[in-house]
Amino acid sequence: MIEAMRTILQRAVEQLSHQLITYLPSLVAALVVLGCAFLIAFFARWVLTRIFKGRAFDRFLSESGVGNLIDRSGRLRATRLVAGTAYWVILLVGSLTAISAFDTVLSARIIEGAISLAPKLVVAGLILLGGAWLAQFLGRSTLVWAVNDGIPSPRRICAAVRLVVMFVAVVVAADQLDFAENVFLAAFVILVGGAVLAASLAVGLGGRDAMSRFFLQRWGEPEQSTLEKTERSLWNHL
Amino acid sequence: MGAAALPSEAQSVIKDIRHADVVVGIPSYNNARTIGHVVRAAHAGLAKYFPQFTSVIINSDGGSKDGTREVVLSARMEDINLLLLNTPLPLVHRLSVPYHGIPGKGSAFRLIFAVAEELGAKACAVVDSDLRSITPEWFDLLIRPVLHAGCDFVAPYYHRHKYDGTITNSIVYPMTRALYGLRVRQPIGGDFGVSNRLVSRYLKRGDWETDVARYGVDIWMTTIAIAEGFRVCQSFLGAKLHDAKDPSADLSAMLTQVIGSVFVLMQEFESVWRQRTGSEDCDVFGFRFDVGLDPIDVNVERMITAFCRGCSELGEVWGLALQRETMKVVRRLAEQCGCVSKFCLEDELWARILYEFSAAYKRRLFDKDTLLRSLTPLYLGRVASFVNQTRDMVSSEVEKKIEESCLTFEHMKPYLLALWDSKTREVPIEPPPSQPAPAEVGMGRQEG
Repeated sequence: MIEAMRTILQRAVEQLSHQLITYLPSLVAALVVLGCAFLIAFFARWVLTRIFKGRAFDRFLSESGVGNLIDRSGRLRATRLVAGTAYWVILLVGSLTAISAFDTVLSARIIEGAISLAPKLVVAGLILLGGAWLAQFLGRSTLVWAVNDGIPSPRRICAAVRLVVMFVAVVVAADQLDFAENVFLAAFVILVGGAVLAASLAVGLGGRDAMSRFFLQRWGEPEQSTLEKTERSLWNHL
Repeated sequence: MGAAALPSEAQSVIKDIRHADVVVGIPSYNNARTIGHVVRAAHAGLAKYFPQFTSVIINSDGGSKDGTREVVLSARMEDINLLLLNTPLPLVHRLSVPYHGIPGKGSAFRLIFAVAEELGAKACAVVDSDLRSITPEWFDLLIRPVLHAGCDFVAPYYHRHKYDGTITNSIVYPMTRALYGLRVRQPIGGDFGVSNRLVSRYLKRGDWETDVARYGVDIWMTTIAIAEGFRVCQSFLGAKLHDAKDPSADLSAMLTQVIGSVFVLMQEFESVWRQRTGSEDCDVFGFRFDVGLDPIDVNVERMITAFCRGCSELGEVWGLALQRETMKVVRRLAEQCGCVSKFCLEDELWARILYEFSAAYKRRLFDKDTLLRSLTPLYLGRVASFVNQTRDMVSSEVEKKIEESCLTFEHMKPYLLALWDSKTREVPIEPPPSQPAPAEVGMGRQEG
């Protein structure tokens, strides 16, 4: 009994020491690589913050509204963005290098997956960012237009516009990542089909009144004067 | 727009006429009903007051389909004997040319200026084509200060109903005066006289394809004239009565174009307005007289409803442009919406709103068009408040009220500077210093 226990413990210690001998140098190497990557990333961010001005990029961020999208205070600067991006990219590369130090099948698969997915992730991220910007731009424009024109439920219309634009962006991004393509595509077709049907009904029903107004104006009762209709000419504003 | 860019019709006429001393421009779009009267007044004015000069009347048309151009070319002076006594009627050339480019008032002006420059005109006057109150004397008042008093820009000065010209009274006049320090009472009047020097300056600028091509052109011209140091004066023209027909744009678009121009020019001329404090009178030519004015109906309730709707729906947009404190006050004001007769958007709050919008426009916090359009409910609230405050006032009292508002804008200019210089979004609001009593307002220095 005691002998059996001793054998088991001995085997466990041997296994542990074997694993330590196999993986400890890799772990130490990985930690060293990670530490170096952190230091390089930190230094790169520090240097870029001081030397990179990027005025043209600042102008782009400001004029396109992307800056305000990322940072609502509107104070996002190219320097901060570029330095931050460099920091995280160096850290990511460092992490992958650290993983590769283990030299196992799993680590090789992780690195391969990350390398093949990275460009797609970047493109999908840009698509989502563009979609978010467009959704915000169109949403706000619709909101202001609906309020000024006295259209009912302007915020709901605005939310619907944003939702549709973001949904389209998500469909395109998912397609880029080869993620659940059919599900998103089917949902997209259903949504667009529904929107077209709703728009057709709206135009048909709304058009009836517009046509009757047109015929009335043309052959029916005499038209009211513009002043009577609007009570105050636009000239009176200028 | 050089000679080569002028429409071929205009080029051939210019080749025939070769030179003119005075050019009168009349922009039009479907104004057949009224333009005949304007052309006759111009013809009579030129014949009566400037018989020694070669003159041209040019109609710059936006593609009218109601025979506007035919009316221009066929208009005749019926009462020349009465008007001119024994002065022989000099030849006044007349041409009607369609303009090209972005449809709008500014594009029409551009063609008129290009023709004036090609003809080497010493002075150019432009008047609206739908004016019912125009007389031959208007041309004397708009052109003579240019020819004989060395003025470069003659702004109109009219009597208007207290509820007329609300963009002028509530936005453009107070802003222009506070920024550039000159009291031009009708900076977007639409009728004006300009010297050849200023015409050349306008044509040299590269921003004709912006809001300047539309309703932004009037404030653009006035601002450039003041900010670039041209000599500016005003001429008293009497009453301004328009045809009842509306311009084609909607209120939001009109407001966007006018205020957009004000804000764009604020950025261009920042170094000019930063230095100026207070304001001074602008010379006024002409003999002032009282006139009867068309009454204007206003629906205050509808304007307040639009304001309150904006408050409840546009918080997301206004929150980006307005300071937190201002937003709070605007929200509190929305609680007064139920009480139409007591609704009041104070001068100080209004100045703060406009200054904060101008800063947001400069920082490009989001789409500029959306930002400017979102101002419409606030503007309607301000107009409703103005109507409430001036309901029982006579014209002179209303002018005093406008003067008070302008002084508030002037006293709050340090706040505008703080907003423009601020590195953070929130700027502390300091109460404006106590204001002096408004001066007797209206006519500035009298000349002529």
